Amino acid sequence: MNHEPFDTLAAAYALGALDGEELVEFEAHLAQECARCAVTLRESYEALAALARSAPPAVPPPEVKQALLSRIAAVAPTASPRRERGRGSLPWIAGAAAAAIVAAAFTGAFVAGHYEARLGQTARELTATRQRLEREIAALNDQLAAYRSAADLLRDPATRVVTLRGLGPSPGATGWVIWHQTVGGQLFVANLPPPPPSKTYELWTIGEGAPRPAGVFRVDAEGRATHRVEPVEGGKPVKVFAVTLEPEGGVPAPTGPMVLASAK
Amino acid sequence: MTGSGAELIRQMVAGDREAFARFYDRYAPLVFPLIQRILRERADASDVLQEVFWEAWQGAAGYDPARGSPEAWLVTRARTRAIDRIRAMRRRSETFVAPLHDALAAAPADPGGDVAERTEDRRTVQHALAQLPSAQREVIELAYYAGLTQTEIAERLKQPLGTVKTRIRLALERLREVVRPTT
Ligand SMILES: [Zn+2]
Repeated sequence: MNHEPFDTLAAAYALGALDGEELVEFEAHLAQECARCAVTLRESYEALAALARSAPPAVPPPEVKQALLSRIAAVAPTASPRRERGRGSLPWIAGAAAAAIVAAAFTGAFVAGHYEARLGQTARELTATRQRLEREIAALNDQLAAYRSAADLLRDPATRVVTLRGLGPSPGATGWVIWHQTVGGQLFVANLPPPPPSKTYELWTIGEGAPRPAGVFRVDAEGRATHRVEPVEGGKPVKVFAVTLEPEGGVPAPTGPMVLASAK
Repeated sequence: MTGSGAELIRQMVAGDREAFARFYDRYAPLVFPLIQRILRERADASDVLQEVFWEAWQGAAGYDPARGSPEAWLVTRARTRAIDRIRAMRRRSETFVAPLHDALAAAPADPGGDVAERTEDRRTVQHALAQLPSAQREVIELAYYAGLTQTEIAERLKQPLGTVKTRIRLALERLREVVRPTT
């Protein structure tokens, strides 16, 4: 098979300029672990990284480094270091010393923060427990509704079950869409890691033309999700279902990496 | 000294915060100007800079030296985050087109060679960019700094999509050619 079209797609992909159906097409190609495209992408990323040096000089704001160091110190307290065995211990001690200096500089904010945290803790724990129970009941009800509607759908001979494979960042993920062209369907997802902060997963239906947004959905702590999929306007057919990682709230056209996709 | 960036990342995996501080000192001066160039607002650029390095600290274990240099690992992430943000801003306000135009007008045609150049190949890549036919350089800049997709570039330049795609491919082939011998 002629690979040239993929060379063109790879260049735009590396640049972050690929969009629409071609983005879907190329990520499906990448999912087949094409060695040639892997080399093209690796070399392109190196070339594009070198281009960063053509930006006009700007000095990084010092407060960013301080914020990062205190954030790191707060998350990984010195009492439980992820210490490397053997020769790693010395750099770690130096790291802890540096962090202590930074922490000292931020003592006021830290003490206030911790104290306030303690004060409100009990009250918050109670509220949190109640909210968690309410959420769990709501989630169970949602899931029950999803299973019921899936079971109903499966009685219709026009319903098909589409399998989605995990790609790129989440190879272990799987998904199924129980799909009826005119009624819509249900997406079930397993083993999909929760999205990073300020990101969300978005489902796309791809038929004729550009991918259509089919809603954002949440993943639970075990990596599972259920999501109702509305039929495409006019009951048009769907060839591919795909899930991408997008900014919170979702976007009208895919911009992020694809994490799940059905075969064409 | 190649590999020392990779060594810092390896130490970060082990929880070495000092290694992270050194990693930041080394790469923030490279990454920040790029983010600032894309986003223009210093406050936005600072947010993204922090996000990028935070992710680098948390995701250090995911770095694989066989798949690219630390620089490419970090710059790719920085570009993605900055462009995510600029696309979100653009969706909120179509008037963003005007500042976008200013940003591109402000682009240095010849990047110059005095700032923090460490290796010969980087200079060569910049030189290669300057040497590209202006139509090719234009599409690279619209995607790289303004975060436009190929379809948006085609609309903006009133060129057929196929032409834009070809320009992107040719330009990247040239830039890759320059980097290849050293990687
Ligand atoms: Zn390929």
